[in-house]
Amino acid sequence: MFGYVRPFRPELKCKDYDLYRATYCGLCRCLRRRYGLIAPMFLNFDFTFLALLLWEPEDTFTPCRGRCHGNPLRKLPMCPDSPALELAADESVVLSWWKLRDSVRDDGFFGGLPARALSTVLGPAYRKAARRRPEFDQTVRGCLEELNALEKESCPFLDRTADTFARLLQGAAPGDGERGRVLSQLLYHLGRWIYLADARDDLEEDKLSGRYNPVAARYGPAGDDGALRLTMDNSLELVGAALQLGEFGCRKPLLENIVYLGLPLVQRAVFDGSWSEIKKQKIWRNDT
Amino acid sequence: MRDPYSVLGVSQNASDEEVKKAYRELARKYHPDNYQNNPLADLAEEKMKEINEAYDTITKQRSGGYSGSPSSGYGGGYSYQQSYASANPAYARVRNLINAGDLSQAEQVLYEVGQKDGEWYFLSGSIAYRKGWLDEALQNYTRAVQLEPNNMEYRQALNLMQRGSAGGYRPAGYSSAGCDPCTAYLCCSCLTPWGGPFC
Repeated sequence: MFGYVRPFRPELKCKDYDLYRATYCGLCRCLRRRYGLIAPMFLNFDFTFLALLLWEPEDTFTPCRGRCHGNPLRKLPMCPDSPALELAADESVVLSWWKLRDSVRDDGFFGGLPARALSTVLGPAYRKAARRRPEFDQTVRGCLEELNALEKESCPFLDRTADTFARLLQGAAPGDGERGRVLSQLLYHLGRWIYLADARDDLEEDKLSGRYNPVAARYGPAGDDGALRLTMDNSLELVGAALQLGEFGCRKPLLENIVYLGLPLVQRAVFDGSWSEIKKQKIWRNDT
Repeated sequence: MRDPYSVLGVSQNASDEEVKKAYRELARKYHPDNYQNNPLADLAEEKMKEINEAYDTITKQRSGGYSGSPSSGYGGGYSYQQSYASANPAYARVRNLINAGDLSQAEQVLYEVGQKDGEWYFLSGSIAYRKGWLDEALQNYTRAVQLEPNNMEYRQALNLMQRGSAGGYRPAGYSSAGCDPCTAYLCCSCLTPWGGPFC
């Protein structure tokens, strides 16, 4: 379900690229420090975006150097620990764990074995994170339960199922004050968009395995790309409108790149099928 | 009040042209058109007011007390409230609640109405639209038009939605046409912990 929220690299300024990398590496380090060596496995682009969003706008970008988790011989610039990184790290552990539990339940005994093994390993980290962020844990649990109930009854209303995941992501930011209102609106529509993108991406796979797919339930087994694009574009527009109302300091250009270039491109890739290709080939390993 | 120059994001010694340009860009960004039916519309309106005041103050200062209204093109006083009247008092209440942003209450009042006619579907669609549930809004508007094909209000709402959005505001340099999808680039190649060939 993860990895849809990423920047469009050719249009990034060097400083924004550095900022993105340092935030990504900083989140990795923060995960390792708080949750041990296994936790950086759950690092992904989406939570990097969340950390960038949650950062205090007054904070300037002052990276420190730290050892890379993947290759300890290398020292890389990374953002030092901050409340935003810690929040993003805690939430990514909570969300990843619930996601794993979800797969354990969905994939049957043998199919669910890898997820079961992973969730056993992640258990202690999850319990720690849930103690630190009890409200978010509650929100995730509640929303995923609702989502499951809707999936069981094969809900034909696209917006209702997407709403559960949207509310889940909305819970990732504290919702009070003017800034909170902007963030929760932004995250709500981002969550809706992620859910729909994921549903469209899984359309073929779900058809083969006979699983419930919200897009298929709404538009029939072939889907309806025109209608889906319309509703997803609308969500992106609302994300952009919310982004413009918030204060994000030096992180604004990077966030704008992600929202105005990265997300539409991912959406296009999901629609024309090249997205799964990208994921399969792991092009991100080299620069060609 | 904040320094009008910092509100517009220009320096004190910026030329009149630069001030105007900055003002135009901000006005485009916070224009009420971009926040129609958006729950954050009040924040955008505040911003709009702030930049209008800042621009007024600067032009006044620079022209030595001249107090013309430069913001004629971008007034904050846009009003898109619908002036359609409802015959049914419950529907009138629902419309008021939607305009006030109290969606759950509006939904409740609407569900207490027994028979579902065109207006019921139209209002139900409006609530969905306010929430950002575009798909449900579209279904409800379509139903409303089917039931009352001669009603211009429903027809307009449906057309507006089917046409799709123009994409809203985008900062300069982020036009949607500008980027050809060379999707290989999507991936931040060297962000992997095990490191790509980064130089």
